[in-house]
Amino acid sequence: MITAQTFVGLIPELLVFVLSILVLMVGVFAPRATGLVAGLAATTPLVALVGTAVLLFTRFEGSFFGGGYVVDDFALYFKLLVALSAFFAVLAAARWSGETGDAPEYFTLILSVALGSMLLVSMRDLFGIFVAIELATIPSYALVAFDRSRRESPEGGMKYLLTGMVAASILLYGIVLIYGAAGSAQLADIANTFIGRLSPVALLGLVLLVSGFAFKISAAPFHFWTPDAYQGAPTSAAAFLSVAPKAAIFAVLLRIFLEGMPGAASTWAVVAAVLAIVTMFVGNLFALRQRNVRRMLAYSSVAHSGYILVAFAALRGAGAETAVQAVLIYSAAYLLMNLGAFLVIDLVGEEAKSYNGLFRTRPGVALSMAVFMAALVGIPPLSGFWGKAWIILAGAQSGSTAAYLAVGALVINSVLSVPYYFGIIRNMAFEEPVTGAGEPKGTGAVKFSVYALAIATALFFIVVGPLATLAGNSGLL
Amino acid sequence: MPPQAQQFLDQLNATLPLEAYLIVGALMFGIGVWGALVRRNAVVVFMCIELMINAVNLTLVAFADYLPNAGGAGVGYAVLVIAVAAAEVAVGLAIALAVYRSRKTVNVDEINLMKG
Repeated sequence: MITAQTFVGLIPELLVFVLSILVLMVGVFAPRATGLVAGLAATTPLVALVGTAVLLFTRFEGSFFGGGYVVDDFALYFKLLVALSAFFAVLAAARWSGETGDAPEYFTLILSVALGSMLLVSMRDLFGIFVAIELATIPSYALVAFDRSRRESPEGGMKYLLTGMVAASILLYGIVLIYGAAGSAQLADIANTFIGRLSPVALLGLVLLVSGFAFKISAAPFHFWTPDAYQGAPTSAAAFLSVAPKAAIFAVLLRIFLEGMPGAASTWAVVAAVLAIVTMFVGNLFALRQRNVRRMLAYSSVAHSGYILVAFAALRGAGAETAVQAVLIYSAAYLLMNLGAFLVIDLVGEEAKSYNGLFRTRPGVALSMAVFMAALVGIPPLSGFWGKAWIILAGAQSGSTAAYLAVGALVINSVLSVPYYFGIIRNMAFEEPVTGAGEPKGTGAVKFSVYALAIATALFFIVVGPLATLAGNSGLL
Repeated sequence: MPPQAQQFLDQLNATLPLEAYLIVGALMFGIGVWGALVRRNAVVVFMCIELMINAVNLTLVAFADYLPNAGGAGVGYAVLVIAVAAAEVAVGLAIALAVYRSRKTVNVDEINLMKG
C-alpha cells in the first residue's frame, strides 16, 4: 500500500528523478542556457544529499512496497555517499561538457546512474535489485562512450557494454535460479532456503549471482573491462563510476549476504575470500606495469575492490559487526581518495611524465595528489588507513582461516602497491618538469573539488568515530 | 485407435514437467554464451546476449508457473526483464554505431586500441 510515508521515504530518489528530467528538458527547450543546466545539475545531488541527511538525522525508517524496498540507516548512509560523489562528478564535468554542447545529456546520464545506485541500496527484492543495477549500469555504458573526440571512448564503451551485458544476463540467471529454489524473490524468504546443505539449484544460483556481482565490482577474474572502460571514459565519468555504483553494489551485496543468506555464510565467505585474494594480486601486479596514470588508477580500483572483499570474508562470528563497519568506512574513505585522484588527471594529464616536477610548478595540485596517493597506500592518518585498519581488525576477530589468509594477502598487497603510488610522488618531487607540457589545465570547479577532497582525505580521522557508531546501528545485524 | 497410440497421445497432451523448461532454458543460455564468446561481429554478439536473456526469461516464467508459493508474480518480473533487455540493446546499438563511425568496423577483434 502506498501512503504519504512512502513518498517521504522516497524523497531523495524522487528529487533526483524529477530534477534529472528537468535538466534534460532545459537542454531541449533552452539549448543556450548552459549555465542554467550546469547549475541545476550540480544542485540536484546537493538537494538529494540534504534530503537524505534529514532522513538520516530524524532516524526515519520504514519498509515499503510489500517489503521490497527498505529505508534504514545503512541505505541512507550509502545514498549520502552516492549523492556526494555525483555532486563532485557534475562539478568536474561542467566545463568539459559545456564545450561539447552535450551537457544536458551528460548530466542526465550521471544523475541516472546516481538514481539507480540510490535505489539499489534500499532494495530487498532480487528483481528490484536487478532493475536498480541495470538503471545504474545502462547509462554508464553511454557515459563511457560519450567523448566522441577521442577514439578510445567508444571503444572503451563497447568493451564495457559487451562484458556488462553478458554479466547482467549471468546475474539474472543466478537471480532466477535463487527465485526458483526459494519460491520467492524477497530476501527474508530466501533466508529460509539458504540454510544448511544447499540444493544444487540454489548453489548454482549463488555461484552465478556472485559471478555477476564480481563483474560489476570488477573483481578478478572478471575485471578485464575496467582498465579499458576507465581509460576511454571522460575523466569525470571514470571518477564517478569507480566510486558511486561500486559502493552501492558492495552495499547491496552486503544486504543480500546478511539478510538473504545468513545460513550459508560458510559458503559465501570462502568464495569472497578467494575472490578477494585473486583480485588484490591481479589489480596490484597489473597496476605496477602501467605508464598511463588513468589506467594505473583503474587497476588500483580493481585492487581496492579486493580489499573491500576481504571484509566480506570476515563477515562471520565476532567479526561480523566490525566487518560491516569496515565496508561502510572503507566505502567513504575510498570515495574521497579515489574521486580526488581521478580528478587530478583532469588538472594535469594522464601520462606519467606529465607529473614530473609538479611540486615546483603547481605545488597545491602536487600536494593534493601526494595526499591521495599516500591515502590509497594506506598511510596513517589519511582516509585509506582507517578503511584498511578496520578490515584487518574484522579479519582478526572473524576466527576463520579463509579470512586470516585474505588479511595476510591484504598486508602483502599494501606493500606491493607502494611502488606505483609512490612513483608518482617521486616524479612530482624529484624529476625535472617536462618542457612544453602546456598550459595548466582544468577549471576552478575541478580545482575546488580536488582541494576539498584532499582536505577531507587528510581529516578523515575526525569522522571515523561517528561512522563506526552509525554502522553499529545500521540495522543489518 | 489402438490403445498404445491413445496412450502415446495422452502422454503428449500431459503437462510437461518443470525440468523440461529448465533444460531448454539452460541449453539456450549455453548456446548464447558460446555464441557471445566465438562470434566476432558486435551485432551478432548482441543477438547472442539476447538469446541468453530470453533463456533466463523462459526459466523465470516456468518457475513462476510451477512453483506453488510463487503466486505467479514471476510473470510480472518477466515483463520487467524484457524492458531492461530492450533498454540495454538500444544503448548497445547506439554505441556500436559510434564505434562504426570512428573506425568503419564493428569486429570486436579489430577494436583494440587499448591494451595491457
